[in-house]
Amino acid sequence: MKRQLKSYFYGGIHPSDGTDKLLSNQTPIKYYVPKRIEISMMQSIGHVSKCIVDIGDRVTLGQLIGIPQEFGTANIHASVPGIILDIIKVDDEHDGVYDVVVIETDNNFDINELYHNKDYSKQLKDISSYSRETLISSMKDGGIIGMGGAGFPTHIKYETNKTIDTVLINAAECEPYLTCDHRIMLEFPFEIINGVNLMIKAANANKATICLEDNKADAAKKLQEILENSNLPIKVKLLATRYPQGGERQLIQAVIKKEIPIGKLPAELGVIVSNVATAKALADMTFNETPLITRCITITGFVNKPSNYMVPIGTLLNDLISESGGISIDGDNKIIHGGPMTGTCIASNSNGNGLIGGVLKISSGIVVLGDEEIIESPCIRCGRCERVCPAGLAPFKIDFAAIENDLSLCDKLYATECISCGACSYVCPARRELAWRITIAKNEIFNQRHKNGGK
Amino acid sequence: MINNIEKTPNISPHLKTNKTSKNIMVDVIIALIPVFIGSIYFFGTRSILIVFSAVFTCVLSEYIWQKASKKQITINDYSAVVTGLLIAFNMPVQTSIWTIVIASIFSIIVTKQFFGGIGGNFANPALVGRAIIMLLWPAQVAKYVTTYHASVDAVSSATILSLLKNGNDFSQFTKWDMFIGNIPGAIGETSVILLVIGFLYLSYRKIVNPVVTGVYLLTVVLITFVFGPQGLFTGDYLTHLLSGGLMIAACYMITDYASFAPRIRVTLAVIAGILTAGIRLWGIYPEGACFAILITNCLAGLVDRIIKPHIYGMKLKRDKV
Ligand code: SF4
Ligand code: SF4
Repeated sequence: MKRQLKSYFYGGIHPSDGTDKLLSNQTPIKYYVPKRIEISMMQSIGHVSKCIVDIGDRVTLGQLIGIPQEFGTANIHASVPGIILDIIKVDDEHDGVYDVVVIETDNNFDINELYHNKDYSKQLKDISSYSRETLISSMKDGGIIGMGGAGFPTHIKYETNKTIDTVLINAAECEPYLTCDHRIMLEFPFEIINGVNLMIKAANANKATICLEDNKADAAKKLQEILENSNLPIKVKLLATRYPQGGERQLIQAVIKKEIPIGKLPAELGVIVSNVATAKALADMTFNETPLITRCITITGFVNKPSNYMVPIGTLLNDLISESGGISIDGDNKIIHGGPMTGTCIASNSNGNGLIGGVLKISSGIVVLGDEEIIESPCIRCGRCERVCPAGLAPFKIDFAAIENDLSLCDKLYATECISCGACSYVCPARRELAWRITIAKNEIFNQRHKNGGK
Repeated sequence: MINNIEKTPNISPHLKTNKTSKNIMVDVIIALIPVFIGSIYFFGTRSILIVFSAVFTCVLSEYIWQKASKKQITINDYSAVVTGLLIAFNMPVQTSIWTIVIASIFSIIVTKQFFGGIGGNFANPALVGRAIIMLLWPAQVAKYVTTYHASVDAVSSATILSLLKNGNDFSQFTKWDMFIGNIPGAIGETSVILLVIGFLYLSYRKIVNPVVTGVYLLTVVLITFVFGPQGLFTGDYLTHLLSGGLMIAACYMITDYASFAPRIRVTLAVIAGILTAGIRLWGIYPEGACFAILITNCLAGLVDRIIKPHIYGMKLKRDKV
């Protein structure tokens, strides 16, 4: 019998009919070791770590090569053993100046050794010997950051002085096309549950809930089977598939059925949200002393062989595209880093060879999409945008105010509460770029508040 | 600033629905085709003339206006066609063509373009067109005739609602006549069944929300039943439901996107229902739907301010920053 699932956050859309995920959700993770990697000192947008190695140095696997130099940055480690060929200085007008470390991989490096035949991948571990403090410091040492997209250092979240009741593990993967979280749950279930157990301890929480959408029922079943024979305080929760379920605030609303007050963090409600890949990273660090140096990434869309890869951080995107058989669309295309709803376009009309840069800790996927020109037409006030907005805003009104440059009206219409999910732009029949303009207005309002000394 | 930031390919989301404004308008036009055919069947080929002059004038005035004011030309989204159809359907078959042309120009230029084009109108353009004619040349839209298929020959006749209002006998029209549209009235408003067929299509395509229409009809039925001529609970609600402009209003006017703001649409539907029934029962006009909806359109701004949206994470008061 199929249970009817309900989803309890406001608004939301179904941007996918499920076929996009089918491209890659049945393909087992492939292991791929590149000859050469490029590790960026900017692992999440706008946050730059300081490089502490030089050209010509030999680095071992997991050696520290970058250290935090400002709030929001984390340690960065060598993801392959090898020799540093070059350090490229990038000067990006948006994101600032940062180094990219180029490493040539040693010939005898085998990535499989990292993962297979470890005891924590076959059984549940007793974690009584780890304290909250040691776990938080291993998050810090391991350079663990949120792997779902924002890339906020995990230890800062867990250092909270608020009382935490529940750790929510975000495995919603609500973005169309992406399947990397789905695959790691199927292939690394013990690592994940061990990691979640550690997270409960690190947060000093009572319990954890792993939240999945019902298009990943097979993964939920697998996790459930393991949990059934244990007495861990971990639950698996299936949610009706809807975008943006994986938004932190939406997930909390869907599972805890409470809203985080405006301007507050989830910890206010006694909740911490962490990505499922982050849980695996914590288990790897704690039981295997492997810092965050690999991740699973989905290469999909218009490529000949859509696949999921377990790769060292810094693996070149070009290599991954050609490993996936190259781009399969003749017409206009655009290549998206991240999911199609919130990701960034890193190239258009590329043949897949000219991509710059490597995999980041936050890279969940590379999606190749067809491109079409979007011509905006006047709003017909159909109200669809308002209906789907998970923040409860009236996007068409804010859009109008933004075009008129009326920031104070944008502010009154709560533009600052927009989570930039893009649901409004997706549904708009007039094809208005609502999310884009609202996000610009939002950032502008924050800038002004900052200038005026407010928060 | 924001309006002249240049667009880059990097505007997320990178996926968009393929349902465009034009698709929506085409669906509305499809939904109105049965009514159009019905109008020819009941009132003869002059209906074609009325419909075409309204549609043609609407599209042309929109084009000329946008061209002259150097705006984005939007006639290919077909919204002017929909407006034209609805204006025509609200006119009796004897209406002179110049009246229709004036109503169309007025609808498009004053109601729609003065307020910023599609979506900017605060009131339903088609109804404004009709209301203007009712106010300026009431005789033009009072010449109702029976249909080709009535038991009597095509003669001028009062509408059922005015017979009902004045307490006259209208037993020559059966409920079945009313249901299929075999009664005097504006060319597109008489046939309940054809209007409903189109409406079901639009509901199926998720273009309109049937709940709102239901709420509106229910309100009218309830009030006309309760406040009957022979005392409470004696009203002839079925006649009210099946005749006049109620159905076309319920199916196509209160579902208008712009003037019935979606978030507060149910509330507005109740208000419009009360006003419609009120005008029909106690007003000077036999028909209430048109003015009731226009009045509701004007109240929309107020209702919008009273019923506040719920913003995620907003407690009763906003945290002052
Ligand atoms: S979805 Fe687009 S057309 Fe509809 S109200 Fe919003 S902005 Fe206007
Ligand atoms: S992008 Fe912002 S305004 Fe648009 S639906 Fe998402 S939260 Fe609402």
